[in-house]
Amino acid sequence: MPQIFFKEQGQHVEVAAGTTILQAARNAGIIVESPCDGVGTCGKCKVLLEDAPAGSYKVEEAHYQMPPELAEQGYVLACHTKVLGDITVVAENTAKQNKSLKILSEGESFSYEIDPYFHKEYADGKTKVYAGDKLVGEEDGDTRDKFYGLAIDIGTTTLVTALIDMNTGEELGSMSALNPQSLHAQDVITRIHMASKPEGLALLYGAIRDEFNNTIHALCKKLNVDSKNIYEVIYSGNTTMIHLATNVNPHSLGQFPYTAAIKGGNTIPADDLDISPFGDIYLPPIISAYVGPDITSGVLAAQLEKKKGTTLFIDIGTNGEMILAQDGRLAGTSTAAGPAFEGMNITCGMRAGDGALELYQIQDDGSVKTHTIGDTAAKGICGSGLLDIIGELVRVGVIGKTGRLVKPARGKYPEPLKANMKEKDGKPVFYVADDVYITQSDVRQVQLAKGAIRAGVDMLMMALDVDEQDVDCVEIAGSFGYHLRESSLIDQGMLPEAFRGKVRFVGNTSKSGAKAFLLNKGTRTYMENLVKDIKDVELSQDPKFQDVFVKAMGF
Amino acid sequence: MSTKEEVLAKLKKSIEELDEDMATEGAKEAVELGIDPITAISDGLGAGMQTQSDLFDEGEVFVPQLVVAADIFEQAIGIITADLSEEAKNASSLGKVLICTVDSDIHDIGKNIVKTMLAASGFEVFDLGRDVSSAEVVEKAKEYDVDIIAGAALMTTTMPAQREIIELLKEDGIRDQFKCMFGGAPVSPEWIKEIGADAYAENAAEAVEQAKKLMAM
Ligand code: B12
Ligand code: FES
Repeated sequence: MPQIFFKEQGQHVEVAAGTTILQAARNAGIIVESPCDGVGTCGKCKVLLEDAPAGSYKVEEAHYQMPPELAEQGYVLACHTKVLGDITVVAENTAKQNKSLKILSEGESFSYEIDPYFHKEYADGKTKVYAGDKLVGEEDGDTRDKFYGLAIDIGTTTLVTALIDMNTGEELGSMSALNPQSLHAQDVITRIHMASKPEGLALLYGAIRDEFNNTIHALCKKLNVDSKNIYEVIYSGNTTMIHLATNVNPHSLGQFPYTAAIKGGNTIPADDLDISPFGDIYLPPIISAYVGPDITSGVLAAQLEKKKGTTLFIDIGTNGEMILAQDGRLAGTSTAAGPAFEGMNITCGMRAGDGALELYQIQDDGSVKTHTIGDTAAKGICGSGLLDIIGELVRVGVIGKTGRLVKPARGKYPEPLKANMKEKDGKPVFYVADDVYITQSDVRQVQLAKGAIRAGVDMLMMALDVDEQDVDCVEIAGSFGYHLRESSLIDQGMLPEAFRGKVRFVGNTSKSGAKAFLLNKGTRTYMENLVKDIKDVELSQDPKFQDVFVKAMGF
Repeated sequence: MSTKEEVLAKLKKSIEELDEDMATEGAKEAVELGIDPITAISDGLGAGMQTQSDLFDEGEVFVPQLVVAADIFEQAIGIITADLSEEAKNASSLGKVLICTVDSDIHDIGKNIVKTMLAASGFEVFDLGRDVSSAEVVEKAKEYDVDIIAGAALMTTTMPAQREIIELLKEDGIRDQFKCMFGGAPVSPEWIKEIGADAYAENAAEAVEQAKKLMAM
C-alpha cells in the first residue's frame, strides 16, 4: 500500500491506492483545511508535494484552477489528488496559523440574581449535588466551594468558552479556539450536507467534542480547577451548530421547509464531556431553523423585550439573523447573506488574522489610510476591511450606483486613486495595498450580501409596521460586527441613513446570554415562553422580498 | 402614428433604459399596428434584453437591472400576446424549455432571469416555479413534450436533485428524449459532467447560448 509522509506533522500514513490526500489526512486525524468539503471549488486545501515521482499520484480535474506558478512549485488540491505510490506531502500545520485569529469574547449583559439550576447541600461529611430539585449525585467531604459551570458560544467559525464560578457568578477565565468543523466544511449548509451522512456527522461531532474537551482541560489547568467540579455547560450557537454539537442529524435544516430536529429549552446528559459525572448540558430554546439559541441568548442579554421604544438587534454574518423589538413585541428573521463577510468568495479575502486589512479610509486629498491586523504588510482583506473599502469607494465614486468599478477616464474621483485602478487578465481591479485588490465580482458579492441584510431589515420593519425614523437603537452583535464602524455600514447602504448615530456594538451576546442562562435558572422558563411569541418573518414566502432585495443591492 | 421601425426601436429602448411606461406604450402601439409578435420580441424587446445581457457580461449592470428589465419585458409580452392563440404563440419558437428551481429549494430570482432571457431569445418556456419535485419535472417534461429541461439549484444541499432528475429520466428509459441544462451559483461544469447532464451555464446569457447549442445537436 502507498505511504504518505505528512512532513509538517511528522506522520507516516498508509492508504489504499486511489485514496485522496484529503481523505488520507482525515483518516489520520491530520487537519487539511477544506472549506468546500472537497467539492473542488474553494482551493484552500492546497498542499505541496515534495519530489513526488511521476505516477505516484494523480490530479483530477476540479473547478478551482491552480495558479500556474503554484502548480509549477508542486502544489495540488488535497481533495482532488489521488495517491498511487509513496509521496511526501507538506500540509501547513493549522494549529500554528490559527493562533493569530482575532476572536471577540466579551458581550454586554444585564444584572441578574445568582441562582443556578444546580446547587449543592452539605451534611454529615457528604455534599449532595442537585440539578433543579433532583438529587443527581454525592461527593465526599464539603465541596460546596468547588462549583463551576461553562458558557460556550459555538460560532460557525470560532468557539469561546468561559469558566464560571457558580457560587459568585465570577468569570474566572475564558478561552477561544477555532471551531474545528470549519476546517472540514466552512459554511453552515456545507456542514449540514456533510453531516446528513452518518460518517460526516461522526467526523464533525467528534471534532467538536474533542475540541471542547481540550479546552476544558486547558482552562482547568490554567485556572487550577478540577474539571470534575464543572456541573453544567450551556451551548449557545446557531441552530445548525447546536445540532452538530449534540450529535443530531441536521438534514431537515437544509431542505425546504427548513425545520429543526430539536427544539432546545432542555437539558441533556454531558456524558461525552470531561466534567462531573452528574453534569448536564442546557440548550437554550431555538427560535427557528435559522434563528438559533445564540440569538435567544442575545435577546436575553440585551433584554430586548423589556426595552421601551424600538430596537433592532442584528448579528451581521453569513446568516444575518435579526430581531426587531417594539415595546415588547418581537419579530425575527434570517437573511442568508452568504460568506462574503468572512472573506470567502472574495478574491483577496481572508479571515481576521495577521495581515488582514481591517481599516481603509480615503482622506480629502485622495490619500489613503489603512490598518492591518498585527501591523504587518497587507496579505488580504477581512470582512470588516471589505465593508470599509466598499463604503469608501462608493463614497468617492470609484464604485458607481449600480456597483460597477468606474474607469479612471470616466470617473470623477480623486486623482491619486486613479493610479490604483489597473487591469488584471483584461478586467478592471482596484488596488487597496501592494498585492491586495478588489475585483468587479468582489463588489457583486458584497452587493448580494449587503442587499440581503438590508432586505431583511426592511422586511422586519414592514412586518411590525415600523418606520426607519422610529428605530431608536440598533444593536450589532457578534464578533464580526465588533470590528466595524457605523459609517461603513451606512455608507454602502446595508443600513438606512436614518440609523446614523444610533448604532451600538454590543459584542458577543451569545456568550454573555449563555452566562445568564447558566447562573439564573429563572431565565430559562422565561425565555422558553418568550421565544414562542417571537413572530417568525418568513422571507421565502413573501412576494415583496424580491423587490426589496433588488432595490437594496444598489448603492 | 409611429411607424413599425419606430415602435420596435421604442420597445428596445424601453428595456435598455428600464422605462416601464415606454414599454407599455410601445407594446400597445405594436398591437395597434398589427406588428407580428415574434418580430416585436426578437427585434424589439428581445434586442433590448440582449443589450442588458451584454452590459451584464461587461460588468456594467448587475442583478437589479436584469430583474427590472425582465419584469418590464414580461409585462410588455403580456400585452403583445394577449389576444394570441396558443398555437400562434408557439409558432416559430426555437425550442421548448421546461424550467424550475429544484426540489426543496426556494431560490428563484436567478431562475426567473434565465426564464425571461430564454423567452426573449425566442424559446417557448414552461415555468414550473420553485421547490418542484423531480418526479413532477419528469412528468411535465413528458406532458409538454419539451426539448430541454432546465433546473436551478442555489444550495449545496439541493444540488443532488439535479442528479435525481437525470436518474428518473433514465429509469423511465427516456433520458435521450430530453437535453438537461442545469445552473445556479454552487453548480459547476464538473458537477454537470459528474451527473451526466448535457449543459451548464454560469449566467442567463450563457444559458441562452447553451440552449441554442443543445437545439442544434
Ligand atoms: C436572495 C437569497 C435568498 C432569498 C431568496 C428569495 C428568492 N425568491 O429567490 C431568501 C431570503 C428567501 C433566502 C432564504 C434562504 N437562503 Co438564501 N440566499 C440569497 C442570496 C443572498 C442571493 C441569491 C440570489 O438571488 N442571487 C442572485 C441571482 C440572480 O443569482 P443566481 O441565482 O446565482 O442566478 C444566476 C446564475 O446562477 C444562473 N442561473 C440561475 N438559475 C439557473 C438555471 C439554469 C438552468 C441555468 C443554466 C443557469 C441558472 O443565471 C443567473 C443569472 O445570471 C444568496 C447569498 C449570495 N451572496 O449569493 C443566499 C444563499 C443562496 N441562501 C442560502 C441559504 C442557506 C438560505 C436559507 C436556506 C437559510 C439561510 N437563512 O441562510 C434560507 C431559507 C430559509 C427561508 N427563510 O426560507 C445559502 C446557500 C448556501 C450553500 N452553501 O448552499 C446562500 C449562498 C447564503 C448563505 N447563507 O451562505 N435566500
Ligand atoms: S478545493 Fe475545497 S477542499 Fe479542496
